[in-house]
Amino acid sequence: MLDFVQALIDGILYGTTYALIGIGFTLVFGVMHKINMAYASASIGAAYVALVVGGLVAGASAWLVFGLSFLLGGLFGLLVYLICFHLIPLGNENATLMSTIGMLLLVDELIAHATQGMPQNYPSTAFGEEMVRMGELSVRGDLIFVFAVSVVAMGALLALLYRTRMGLATRAVAQQPVAAQLCGIQVVKVNALTFVITGLLGGIAGALVCSAVGTLSILITGPLTVKGLIVTVIGGLGSVPGAIVAGLLVGGLENVVLYLRGVTERDLYVMLLMFAFLVFRPNGIFARGAGRD
Amino acid sequence: MLELRGLSRYFGGVRAVDALDLRVAGGEIFGLIGPNGSGKSTTVNLVTGLFAPSAGQILFEGADIAKLPTHARLAHGIARTFQNIRLFGQLTVWQNLWVAQNSAEDRARKGFFARWLGGQRDARAEILPLLEFSGLAHKQDELASNLAFGEQRRLEVARALATRPRLLLLDEPAAGMNSEEIGQLRERILKIRERGVTVLLVEHVMELVMGVTDRIAVLNFGQKIAEGTPAEIQADPLVRKAYLGGEAA
Amino acid sequence: MDFYFGLIQIIGVHTLLGLSAYVILLTGQLSIAQAAFYAIGAYVSAMLTVLWGWHIVPALFAGAAMGAFFATLVGFPALRVRGLMLVIATLAFGEGVRLFFFNFDYQIQKGNVKVGPLGPEGFRQIRYFPENGWTTFDVMLFVWVFVILVMALIWWVDRSRYGAVLRAVGDDELAAQSVGINLTAVKVSAMTVGGGIAGLAGCLYAHYTTHIEHLGFGVLQSVFAVAYPIIGGMASVFGTLFAVIFVQGILVEGLRFLGDWRNLLFGALIIVAMVVRPTGFLDALMLKRFARWFALGRERA
Repeated sequence: MLDFVQALIDGILYGTTYALIGIGFTLVFGVMHKINMAYASASIGAAYVALVVGGLVAGASAWLVFGLSFLLGGLFGLLVYLICFHLIPLGNENATLMSTIGMLLLVDELIAHATQGMPQNYPSTAFGEEMVRMGELSVRGDLIFVFAVSVVAMGALLALLYRTRMGLATRAVAQQPVAAQLCGIQVVKVNALTFVITGLLGGIAGALVCSAVGTLSILITGPLTVKGLIVTVIGGLGSVPGAIVAGLLVGGLENVVLYLRGVTERDLYVMLLMFAFLVFRPNGIFARGAGRD
Repeated sequence: MLELRGLSRYFGGVRAVDALDLRVAGGEIFGLIGPNGSGKSTTVNLVTGLFAPSAGQILFEGADIAKLPTHARLAHGIARTFQNIRLFGQLTVWQNLWVAQNSAEDRARKGFFARWLGGQRDARAEILPLLEFSGLAHKQDELASNLAFGEQRRLEVARALATRPRLLLLDEPAAGMNSEEIGQLRERILKIRERGVTVLLVEHVMELVMGVTDRIAVLNFGQKIAEGTPAEIQADPLVRKAYLGGEAA
Repeated sequence: MDFYFGLIQIIGVHTLLGLSAYVILLTGQLSIAQAAFYAIGAYVSAMLTVLWGWHIVPALFAGAAMGAFFATLVGFPALRVRGLMLVIATLAFGEGVRLFFFNFDYQIQKGNVKVGPLGPEGFRQIRYFPENGWTTFDVMLFVWVFVILVMALIWWVDRSRYGAVLRAVGDDELAAQSVGINLTAVKVSAMTVGGGIAGLAGCLYAHYTTHIEHLGFGVLQSVFAVAYPIIGGMASVFGTLFAVIFVQGILVEGLRFLGDWRNLLFGALIIVAMVVRPTGFLDALMLKRFARWFALGRERA
């Protein structure tokens, strides 16, 4: 029983990274009604470049690398926007989707070649050594760190969305792009900014994921993309709170299934959960129920 | 032919259509008018099956069709046009009519394979009369999205006719038309009735409604407030109040 | 010379993959699950020929039938999800199927060896062609017989009412419903056809490559499948064919210059293609031009 709770807690803490990735997908969908398939890859890409640059500059201290990853994430986000969305007429759904898929492949290959396919050691903060003990349970310090950073990031994002003018403009564009333009909101700026912001989040998420696991490997991007999308679907496309809850849910479920049934069934159950939502609750966790109209 | 009994449709607290009783007889041209938001389009959507009724019945030739999905209602002979034209822009003019040949009659005439996988030549020959009726024969290979606005409107109606309906619901077909075009539309609607199709005309443009319908029903806030011949409706003070609000001189 | 025959085989199978996505794409459904049906066709037909000694042709049809069957199963729930949600759902489904084959063991004893799929190792020794004396050239012809058959079939569909109905559904579902088109029947049937073609492609792939494993049926394959019709243009089957030749041609040539950077090239290629020509190469306008050019040519001749 205790191990079960332990697994659950660890999973939920780790699940905050899924929440961040899910937020990234869902926010872009909310504002532009498009999916940026390259999101998770770009995030890991930012983490990797941060590692390299951090290593060159100052011996890859964890904080430096995390900070760089954060900034680079924003930069990469902007690049993805410019290449995949700005240059292609937004009305053409297939074209923009395919271009982000192309970007996904491109970034993956770049990382694979740069790392020669070898996993790289990723720094973690000193928290990794700490263990917080609560009775019989022990929680890894670095997981708490991951959790804390993610919560701060999510909080910052929510504050941005709901308490600033920029956030207001973003939500306006998400709801009524044409009317927003007519009110003088520069949709292009909002779109680009959305990518930068989600990119910043992604940079953090990528760094956190790699530090929690201890390595950065090209094998992470695929499953991370799929999981991020699953979280997005379960949370409801466009719902940031939904993505947060769904991320924790998926993280917790995943770890619990891992503990109970082993690795192979873990992914299966997560996928089944997603399909269950698709069938019974396609609008996500916070959907207001199926309204046919 | 069409009978609505106590038909209601609620959206949350809003009663878009409220206990509507209506009867359209076969061969009639029946008008449905009312101020914006009175429930005209919702009624059309209810009859064609895009919305499910919250209460009440929809009887078509005596049969309750409320549970049938949209495409099945067509098999019974109900067709509609859309207020903001919904043509298949990527298909050509004649193809727009071709894909609409889904009536029971068409299904009976040809075998399954011939209908779905058969060649184009016979189909084009069948469709030509309808194209000529709509004045579009010379543009049959043009992409629907390349047509002029007036032509698109005609194609919209032609496509509905291609389904061989017994009841045709026209959703604001005169929007944006000038007097001359309205006159032509009036002629076409009369000709459609001559072909044996009953018409339910939802419209704002009074010039058309008063000039072509046999009877009219007036909606306001989802309820029927008046019904009668065009002359009766024009004289009705309730109707004037609904449109103009308050006493008119 | 064998190298070129092999390349032509690959082009053939990829054309089939592309066409399987093309049919479904006509109805407005973007399916990133084609690799799943491809995989099912591959494993089923390989098991039939290797484990139970079937002849290749019935095994082919069985593989295609299984692909079609599972596609039908997917087609119904797919009706409930629109647009981008469908993309995610099919992506997840494809991954699920790949994971299934990652864990799939079914070996039987044949003589003194065990044959059959073995989880992560995949399915080795699919030796129907070599054992029956087929040369690379024979296999290439065999593959292309089916490619041409399928292309002809879909070309015919494109000119038939079914094809126009598929496109009508892809254009405007609401309008299609309102003229009496049964959306369920049309969308699910398109899925079924797409799944069958993918299954067929899978069978051919399994037998000419003699060794299949889960890695060959992942997201990348599904991406190839949808990339071809989107890059090639949705106006005609030839668009998909041109796209396959173009992409594979570049990838093969690219291999020579850039070594192992194939996927990078593919990714970059997709991006460039979409930026330069988002409606695909052979879109409606281009098709008209080609048709006119052909007609003029015939007139002069």
